[in-house]
Amino acid sequence: MIEDVLGLLSSTLVAMVPLLLASVGEIIAERSGVVNIGLEGIFVLSAFLSALTAFYTRDPYVALAVGLLVGFLSGVLHGVISVYLRGDQIISGVGFNMFAYGISIIGLICTWGQHGASPIVAKMPFIGGGFLFFSPLLILSIIIAIVVWYWLFRTSSGLKLRACGEDPRSAEAMGVNVLRTRFYATLIGAMLTGLGGAYMVVGWIGQFTRYISAGRGFIALAIVAFSGWNPIIAIAGSMIFGFFDALSLYLPVKIQLIYPRMNLTSTSYVFRTVPYIAVLITVSVAFRKGRMPRDLGRPYIKE
Amino acid sequence: MLRTSLLEIPTSIIISFLLGFVLLLSLGYDPVNIYKIIIFGSIGDPDYLLIRSTPLVLTGLAFSIPFLTGTFNIGGEGQFYIGALLSLLAAYTTKSSLMAIAVGTMAGGVLGALIAIIKVYRGINEVVSSIMLNWILYFSILFSITTFLYDPLIPYQSVPVPLDARLGCIQILGERVPLIFLIAVCVAFISYYILYYSRIGYCMRVSGLSPKSARYAGFSPELSVITSMVLGGAMGGLGGSLLVIGHTYTIDTTMSALYGMGFAGIGVGLLGRNNPIGIIFSSIFFSMLVIGGEMAELRAGIPTELADALIGIMVIALSMPYIYRIVYTYIRSRK
Amino acid sequence: MSFVELRDIVKVYPDGVVALRGVSMEISEGEIHGLLGENGAGKTTLMRILYGEIRPTRGEVFISGRKVSFRGPWDAIKNGISMVYQKFTLVPTFTVLENLYLPLALMEKGTSIDDVRKRAERLLDELNLRVPIDSFVEELPVGVQQRVEILRALLLKSKILILDEPTSVLTPIETKELFRMLKELKKAGITVIFITHKLKEVRELADRITVLRKGMKVGTVNAAEVTESDLARMMVGHEIAVVQRPSPSIGEKILEIRDLWVKDDRGIDAVKGVSLELYEGEILGIAGVQGNGQLELAEAIAGMRRIERGAIFLNGREITNLPARLRYRYGLAYIPDSRSVGLVAEMNLTENSVLTSLSEFIRKGRIKWSNAVRRTSEIVDRFNVVTPSLRVAVRYLSGGNQQRLLVGREITKEPRVLIIAEPTHGLDVAATDFIRKILLDFRDKGKAILLISTDLDEIFQLSDRIAVMYEGRIVGIGRNEEFSPEKIGLLMGGVHAQDISS
Repeated sequence: MIEDVLGLLSSTLVAMVPLLLASVGEIIAERSGVVNIGLEGIFVLSAFLSALTAFYTRDPYVALAVGLLVGFLSGVLHGVISVYLRGDQIISGVGFNMFAYGISIIGLICTWGQHGASPIVAKMPFIGGGFLFFSPLLILSIIIAIVVWYWLFRTSSGLKLRACGEDPRSAEAMGVNVLRTRFYATLIGAMLTGLGGAYMVVGWIGQFTRYISAGRGFIALAIVAFSGWNPIIAIAGSMIFGFFDALSLYLPVKIQLIYPRMNLTSTSYVFRTVPYIAVLITVSVAFRKGRMPRDLGRPYIKE
Repeated sequence: MLRTSLLEIPTSIIISFLLGFVLLLSLGYDPVNIYKIIIFGSIGDPDYLLIRSTPLVLTGLAFSIPFLTGTFNIGGEGQFYIGALLSLLAAYTTKSSLMAIAVGTMAGGVLGALIAIIKVYRGINEVVSSIMLNWILYFSILFSITTFLYDPLIPYQSVPVPLDARLGCIQILGERVPLIFLIAVCVAFISYYILYYSRIGYCMRVSGLSPKSARYAGFSPELSVITSMVLGGAMGGLGGSLLVIGHTYTIDTTMSALYGMGFAGIGVGLLGRNNPIGIIFSSIFFSMLVIGGEMAELRAGIPTELADALIGIMVIALSMPYIYRIVYTYIRSRK
Repeated sequence: MSFVELRDIVKVYPDGVVALRGVSMEISEGEIHGLLGENGAGKTTLMRILYGEIRPTRGEVFISGRKVSFRGPWDAIKNGISMVYQKFTLVPTFTVLENLYLPLALMEKGTSIDDVRKRAERLLDELNLRVPIDSFVEELPVGVQQRVEILRALLLKSKILILDEPTSVLTPIETKELFRMLKELKKAGITVIFITHKLKEVRELADRITVLRKGMKVGTVNAAEVTESDLARMMVGHEIAVVQRPSPSIGEKILEIRDLWVKDDRGIDAVKGVSLELYEGEILGIAGVQGNGQLELAEAIAGMRRIERGAIFLNGREITNLPARLRYRYGLAYIPDSRSVGLVAEMNLTENSVLTSLSEFIRKGRIKWSNAVRRTSEIVDRFNVVTPSLRVAVRYLSGGNQQRLLVGREITKEPRVLIIAEPTHGLDVAATDFIRKILLDFRDKGKAILLISTDLDEIFQLSDRIAVMYEGRIVGIGRNEEFSPEKIGLLMGGVHAQDISS
């Protein structure tokens, strides 16, 4: 019994890392007024490229750095399109997801000749052992969340950034360079997501698979809204959804032990819906328009 | 504006093909050969091309109709899935293709209405709610297919659509034309009619272009949002329905035939400049790419995801109308 | 040597509009200087040039004898100039303290928020003011928000404070408070420039007053040495071209407004108990400076804005709660002041010409575009709309042609009552003359027109009767002949009718 609880806890702690990194990153971007639907694409792309790196260098830490780089470049693309070219943020995000997914699968097939998954690559070690374990990146991501919270809410540069997302006109009048701030915020957000994508391979699953992301980018978007754009609450949010993630793998196994005739795969599908239902309900019931940055998603046009 | 619109279509296609060219080169393939296969790969089998285009026509409409009203329907995936599932159920139980289509379409419409209502009355952004519903429906349908709709006789598939409910091809002028494509074309024309010749279509377009003017004229932008989402959702549902009763006749347990149709519809809609007639053509173009991609896999070994990547680039290129305006005014001022 | 000097400022906009024609002005240190004028006089433009938001086409700005050239408001702020607009530049979802902290932290790196709190509290003490520093800006009443703006300017060490129509958003009590505060600031050595159209207030508050009219300076006077009549005369001028064409005949009462109360977008009362009657065959011109409730009145009559209290009758039928579409059907037409509302920029001419009369073009459930095309051609011909084709998007038409289309569309419907706001705003002379003539012709056919305009020339030229609106009320109404430019100026400036000697 205790092993089950610990096992579940460990799975949660492991699963929450990419969600936390991406949602904190997106909180930064959205607080400045830019929405990045392409998180899913960044996850997949950075997962693939870090798997590739880890495969050839056998060093998971270099792979993490590559993940940051992928995030950086994606952030530049989205930043330029959304901030300077006043492109439609949602459409370009959707397009990026399609493109990133396509390129990553092409890469998978061309590099290793596999359609489903890459070979296992070098992984980062976990902390702890036995039934309770977690990744060192968990500590890092929690620290990042706390630091970002402090930065956004207790420093003047964080205030600057938030002003861009609430009322860019007034921010500009008070001396803030809105376009530049939004661009940098998008960059940082994308980099954190890229790190999360790399983690999925070298810190968790150990290989790149076709469905490695499975909508986690969108769950991160939901966590952002769910947490009221607050990084500390995002920790709790990621934990909750990481828990559902872990649960969706754990429960079917358990249920099958009790009812051997039930199909494992199908029951797991039911549980996979839970995080999304939870988000939908929470957001419908508890959503207060006041919490969302007022100018989110709107391009800022200087007069 | 028409001029810049027309400029965007070939530009985005050219950009994506250029980038694809570079990509293929760097992966060690022969781009010229691959492009030849992609572009000409579907010529041999025109009715297959039209069958594949059908769902895209509908998911394109599912995105574009609400888009013209200022709403993002990213929920095309979910509407497609639920249309497919409920059509399958209806066909299986009533053995009537008409019932199947009706049920699927209405299911999509209800879903669209749901998204619109929570947007209008609770202020929930339609992108978040749509994506959540997409995933909920994805897994729910996977569950349904692998449990009570599972076909014990044929593995990896749901129960098939009964023969009576299936829609095939009909003969027109000596050519085999898929009935579902004709239905899709009719729906596209009806959409065009609604958008440009009916009162509600006019109200929707005005609300999308200038909500203030809509209020001035006495229209209700909120009503337009809901109407457009009901229509858009219905289109998505119809798309899923037609796929199931006219093409695959079943839903496979990985839902591979359904997955991505809604998102591709966004590309189809954008490339067709959100015009129903344009969407007919862009959907044929897209499915040409997709089929070509499948042929390229068979003959040259390049994965089908190439088509996804190319489409993705096109969508990104189409998200920046402002840049074309800049280029256009620049060229004009130079003259 | 004066403190602030603007020399020969000329401002011509890219579309040809001349806002300032060579204005020179100087402001002494530590004075309260009023900048007076009607709409379009150029007051706000001039101050925005001082504030660095706009570059002048010609002319120079000197501060303490030193020539300055600001690249933007931030430069001005660093030089000690702050401007408080009518639309505030506070982030509504932040607290007052955060709004004070933000620019301060940018200007003096390393300032802590507690620092700012202490400084703010000290300043509030000195000025004997109460502002809840930790409240969210959007929850505060407008008068307090304005105080925050001023507080922020002071914390940024501004020595020159420019206020744009500060009392337009205040209640009378808040106005008194503001004046008290400004006089305190003057004692502390702050120079205040405030833009206004209100005669009483400017005399009460200012030391000196500069009057602008149509982009030129009329003069600078000492407040103590002028009367409100003098100011009104300066503001409005003598030469009103009275090329007027009186109405051939006045008919029945067609529109009646009874004790109307309407709120503006902020939820504040904009129309406060207005009662009016409009007769067929007349043009009733509503004069007044922008922001005194005229537009809200027009929108309420048209059905675009909710009526809080009162009633409207069109030809005897009550339309108070009817939707706009029905009002149009019963013979009302409305041409809004903003072309981006009256026309859909991205749609073509034909699509725009059916906007407010769609039902007319629907036969058997569908829109007969052929009829619409016919109507559009008719409009284009009768109203001389210059356009390469009917299928061009309206945004490619010039402002004058857009207005012709808009006016033409509504007039061709042959409504019984036409409400029109700012008909010739931003148009060239030819278009202006054309549209005014159209309106007169329309009236001569026995139609009724409610004209809202901030252009007094236009009011005098077109109106049979004139009403003046000030702060949501009709402060004067009568026949055209009963009004002199001076009298109107006074009424528009808020002087009570009984204080005016005819």
